[in-house]
Amino acid sequence: MKRSEKFRQANREAKATILATIAVIAFWWVAGFGLADVNISYLHTPLWVWGGCLGTWIFAILVTLYLTKYVFVDFDLDDKEEGK
Amino acid sequence: MSSIINLIPVLAFLVLMLLISVYVQKSSEDDRQKNFAKDYFIGGRTLGGFVLAMTTAATYSSVSTFVGGPGMAWIIGYGWLYMAIVQVVVIFLVLGVFGKKIALVARRIDAVTVIDVLRARYKSNFLANFAAVVIVGFFCATMVAQFVGAAKLFEAVTGYSYLTGLSLFGLIVVFYTTIGGFKGVAITDSFCAIAMIAGMCLLFGAMMETGGGFDNIMKHISTNHPDMLEPLSRGKMPISLYISQWLLVGICTLALPQSVVRGISFKNTQALHRAIVIGTVVIGAMTLVATVIGVLSKGILTGDLASYGGSVDNITPLTIVKSMGPFWAGVTIIGPIAATISTVSSLLLAASSSIIKDVYMNHLASQGKELANDSVRNLSLAATVILGLAVYAIAITPPSVIWIINMFAFGGLQTAFFWVLIFGLFWYKANKNGAIAAMVGGVLVYCATMAMKIKVLDLHQIVIGIGVSLIFFLVGNSFGKTVDDETLEIFFPERFDN
Repeated sequence: MKRSEKFRQANREAKATILATIAVIAFWWVAGFGLADVNISYLHTPLWVWGGCLGTWIFAILVTLYLTKYVFVDFDLDDKEEGK
Repeated sequence: MSSIINLIPVLAFLVLMLLISVYVQKSSEDDRQKNFAKDYFIGGRTLGGFVLAMTTAATYSSVSTFVGGPGMAWIIGYGWLYMAIVQVVVIFLVLGVFGKKIALVARRIDAVTVIDVLRARYKSNFLANFAAVVIVGFFCATMVAQFVGAAKLFEAVTGYSYLTGLSLFGLIVVFYTTIGGFKGVAITDSFCAIAMIAGMCLLFGAMMETGGGFDNIMKHISTNHPDMLEPLSRGKMPISLYISQWLLVGICTLALPQSVVRGISFKNTQALHRAIVIGTVVIGAMTLVATVIGVLSKGILTGDLASYGGSVDNITPLTIVKSMGPFWAGVTIIGPIAATISTVSSLLLAASSSIIKDVYMNHLASQGKELANDSVRNLSLAATVILGLAVYAIAITPPSVIWIINMFAFGGLQTAFFWVLIFGLFWYKANKNGAIAAMVGGVLVYCATMAMKIKVLDLHQIVIGIGVSLIFFLVGNSFGKTVDDETLEIFFPERFDN
């Protein structure tokens, strides 16, 4: 990969990371506030706690797995195959 | 209460940290002979994925993960956990946005610190020196606050005096950071992260036993404190607080220099990818377990706050003392001590690298002098140990100004570095004038509005800091010169492609 291509890829990954963060925020809102009025409890703990707290954590892990598998690309960080 | 039994586990852990650092020092001797600054301040860019994840997570989570946070959860309930869980984004955000780009740039210009990168990008000694002052000042205040929090916790749990605890872990962390350098810090951080999780799990288990199980404790809470089961906690957790926290402990942590510097340290892209996943698992687990402990301690400590000394900081130590015997309490307290020393070690090294590498060595270079490798070694070791001992000494009886600086530190660092780093690495038109205006103006406005308690829409002052800093950047930028081609080629080679 040329140096310039590595930078293009890094830009793409940075953008994908921002989108992933927005996705986590959206999930957090829906699974927490969105479920706050649902009258279901497990172990005397309401559903929004499971969804908004435990759920957000699991969702974030799935997001990082997706990012690193499908969006992020491996390349050599050193400048060996330098090309302008 | 104060018996040698509850001192032994902590002591053993601290000695282990020392031994690891001695080992790292021995095994890096060759690298340090060649280029001391590169090995000492950034670990020769050799970190693997696991260690990168652990050191980033351990540096981020501090004594307040164990003390302040759970204490607030004891009052607020699950709303506090729902707010704290925003921290699951902090690891993948900083590594995903900055990781590769700063790694590519740092290798090209042989950068060791974040300020090296900023200096190369903006070509401004004033900006670099101001950034160094911001880092050293805010880091020192944070370190003092970490020491104080941990020493108070230590006193409450073990019965040994504040000074005994502070001297024990304070002096040891200063010493092991000084000899181990960045690699030592990263490896000891990994052990600290494991100790934190182990400590939390122990406490969680002991609480379950004391309180009669999760379901039983929750039954007690839902009967007696139904407000703790609502996200807004009957007005105790307003939406504005959620938004403020998303910014302050979530998104804006992107630019904390102690996290960003880890983007220079890893070995290859595989390590980065692994760290993004592992780091997210670890930071989420720590936040969840620590804060759930705070919520559930409502079933153990059933009195009102006044009966526990009137401070939420007493909740965690009292929970530990009430649920475990002295030995296990002594083991559990390794967790918060580990959280403290892993934060202090990283900040201490970053602060001393700013003084030696960013300010002093650069000042000499501007006069055409270069330091011999041995002088770099002596100066770096001396700076680290002197700065560390000064922080220790201040923590014995901290003056009130430290608390003021500490209150400004987290948001101040974010305001200083947020746009300067983002625009510097991703916007080719960003120039020196914009960066200086954003950093200096942003920090001043942020601290002023903090001091005067001025708020917009009831949101934390970080909103003002980041907003004003953005405006200053754009205005300042329009008065600056465009960046020269040589710099552009280093930071934006894609612009030279056709």
